[in-house]
Amino acid sequence: MSQTDLKEQKRRAVLTAWVLAAVAFLIFIAFVLSGMLGS
Amino acid sequence: MSTDITHDEALEHGHDHEDHHDHKPSGFLDRWLFTTNHKDIGTLYLIFSLAMFFIGGAMAMVIRAELFMPGLQLVEPEFFNQMTTMHALIMVFGAVMPAWVGFANWMIPMMIGAPDMALPRMNNWSFWILPFAFTMLLSTLFMDSGGPAAGWTLYPPLSLQGGQSFAFVVFAVHMMGISSIMGSINVIATILNMRAPGMTLLRMPLFVWTWLITAFLLIAVMPVLAGAVTMLLTDHFFGTSFFNAAGGGDPVMFQHIFWFFGHPEVYIMILPAFGVVSEILPTFSRKPLFGYSAMVYATASIAFLSFIVWAHHMFTVGMPLTGELFFMYATMLIAVPTGVKVFNWVSTMWKGSMTFETPMLFAIGFVILFTIGGLSGLMLAIASVDLQYHDTYFVVAHFHYVLVPGAVFALMAGTYYWLPKWTGHMYSEKWGKIHFWLSAISVNILFFPQHYLGLAGMPRRIPDYSTQFADFNMISSIGGFIFGASQLIFLGVIIHCVYKSRQKATGRVWEGAKGLEWILTSPPPYHSFNTPPVIDATTVAHAEEIH
Repeated sequence: MSQTDLKEQKRRAVLTAWVLAAVAFLIFIAFVLSGMLGS
Repeated sequence: MSTDITHDEALEHGHDHEDHHDHKPSGFLDRWLFTTNHKDIGTLYLIFSLAMFFIGGAMAMVIRAELFMPGLQLVEPEFFNQMTTMHALIMVFGAVMPAWVGFANWMIPMMIGAPDMALPRMNNWSFWILPFAFTMLLSTLFMDSGGPAAGWTLYPPLSLQGGQSFAFVVFAVHMMGISSIMGSINVIATILNMRAPGMTLLRMPLFVWTWLITAFLLIAVMPVLAGAVTMLLTDHFFGTSFFNAAGGGDPVMFQHIFWFFGHPEVYIMILPAFGVVSEILPTFSRKPLFGYSAMVYATASIAFLSFIVWAHHMFTVGMPLTGELFFMYATMLIAVPTGVKVFNWVSTMWKGSMTFETPMLFAIGFVILFTIGGLSGLMLAIASVDLQYHDTYFVVAHFHYVLVPGAVFALMAGTYYWLPKWTGHMYSEKWGKIHFWLSAISVNILFFPQHYLGLAGMPRRIPDYSTQFADFNMISSIGGFIFGASQLIFLGVIIHCVYKSRQKATGRVWEGAKGLEWILTSPPPYHSFNTPPVIDATTVAHAEEIH
């Protein structure tokens, strides 16, 4: 595997991680908001 | 144990010249505290989870000793409640979940032909958060207000009536959650981006598939738990009324939010177990896994259904009849993909050239005993009769069958299966089999009588009980003590294998084993697959796709 491939692989892995972290954070916020609206 | 099958070409790709020098950090702190190596981090997770398994197990021994006879024997009721709560929190978050992350760290990169996890420094952080989280959780036992005592579900208003130590519990849960989320992000990023060329999704070993699906479950529900305990925190310390009826809040809403996390959590603990068993049964049956694609789809179906069944944990709160019917039928639907799995495991063994080494014994024990737990789950799913079973020992028997001879047996099966690969030495087969038979017999003495106790009406989470329950409780406690003692054999077998065993393991280890991890030496080089391996019919576990 060439250096370019490795760099691209790493870039995609980091992008995947940020997207997943954002999803997790949004779920957290959504449930606290649901608690505020529900109580 | 079997013949040494060498795949020279594959080995050459498995670790290049550089690996012979390994480049392991020389200092203790550099090697373990600052490590970014997936194998070292896997080892750390596994050691940590084993320690937690024994701490949580010691608490279980306190519980069973107190329940050995009716009347208050050994501990105060308040401390008994702390023991039941802490036992569950430690076993769920400290033992089973980190153990699966340890397996994921060790095996996923080797199974997909990747050099390491995608985000190695985050991997280090994911692990090192855990010892601090559990030190904080365990420290509450020594505080004036004691540890959490409202059950692992932390239902308000009871959980809000504890003292100042509750803040430590909430912070510990937050840290465990962050660790799990980071771990699962790493698993997904690794599987989606780091597979060797030719390792398509439908050629991945079942263990990798089950972990990929588990990681999505974790990301979806750990933030929900974080939200729930944050609201408990502000209700307790900052005067909010999310769950406080006096301030306009709703305690039942907590149950909905908690179980929206809690039910997928059950599958987080059991899906990787399905994966391990799906690796072991073909190896010792010397046949490919029956219905590989169906197994993948069944796992995904179980994961999807786990999000729409949460209220079966709360049939007694007084929900509308249509709600009860929906959650009852949705829960029963889970039996369909689970039945597909059990059918496929049995069909894998059917007419296979089976041998019964320790990993196979634990895997077969899993299939039989987990199924018992699944069937009692179906009984609990029936809303009308759940009104009778709810909060009784029947529920305790049900989920312990799913989690102990289910998840824990699969962890033991996986440990015996891959321990020779990890250490380069064979464990003692004789002591492994003694461990299995003692565990398999005692776990039934421990948990089977609890079904009868529950049907007769014994409530859970009580330190004392009516004398009519005395006999079954004594039998259950005796089974518990034997099961607890048997696990010391497990510890002994591992220590012996790591430090004393003279029998070297071959690269393949098991004659029927297939998959990329087996083309590496035992133990594998510190850095493996720096050059991606060749994917062909001899090197992947599910080769029917390759022609």
